[in-house]
Amino acid sequence: MTEAAIRKKPGMASVKDMPILQDGPPPGGFPPVRYARRIPNKGPSAMAIFLAAFGAFSYGMYQVGQGNKMRRALKEEKYAARRAILPLLQAEEDERFVKEWKKYLEYEAEVMKDVPGWKVGESVYNSGRWMPPATGELRPDVW
Amino acid sequence: MASAVDAVGNPIPTSTVLTASAKNIGIRCMPENVEFLKCKKKDPNPEKCLDKGKEVTRCVLGLLKDLHQRCTKEMDEYVGCMYYHTNEFDLCRKEQEAFEKSCPFK
Repeated sequence: MTEAAIRKKPGMASVKDMPILQDGPPPGGFPPVRYARRIPNKGPSAMAIFLAAFGAFSYGMYQVGQGNKMRRALKEEKYAARRAILPLLQAEEDERFVKEWKKYLEYEAEVMKDVPGWKVGESVYNSGRWMPPATGELRPDVW
Repeated sequence: MASAVDAVGNPIPTSTVLTASAKNIGIRCMPENVEFLKCKKKDPNPEKCLDKGKEVTRCVLGLLKDLHQRCTKEMDEYVGCMYYHTNEFDLCRKEQEAFEKSCPFK
């Protein structure tokens, strides 16, 4: 209903005499509000935090070193195996190369047989060392 | 995968077979290998080191045949594992141990 019907006071002459309805504090007032800072001073100190970080870092680097040791051992095993079979592979390739080279020298002799003063298979270098053939492809069937 | 041996029973020196027996080759054929490498260092001409190369080939192929005859099953398993894992030693430890136990280095 209207405000007057709800808030009326007996013996009221007009609406202007209604009792006041206000929002206010409870009786005795509100309890006090804490607004001061209270950051606690406990927990690890700076040195403790630093030592913990340093300890974790050095443990991790130690594990890295151990892992590198293991990886190096694995690589060494692989390289040792390759070193062991290298002479066999080189020997087989030498046999194949000598056969091909002899065929090539015969071909060269036949092609250049009319050229005066041509030494078949002569090295084109002056150092005296043996150099692998540099003209054309070494293994046309492979490449 | 084709077997590790050819028709006569000689092991074919594929990369798989060679890496599987590399440790044996390194120990048993070391003199021939060292002689061949010394000859090569002196003169890289292939025609000059043919005889030492023949020694190396003879030693290694003979060693492969001997290994295969002494421990056929373990060697075949090891070679098969190496073939599957493309010559990766770390993935074939079990077969490697079985092979080394049955064919110990001299």
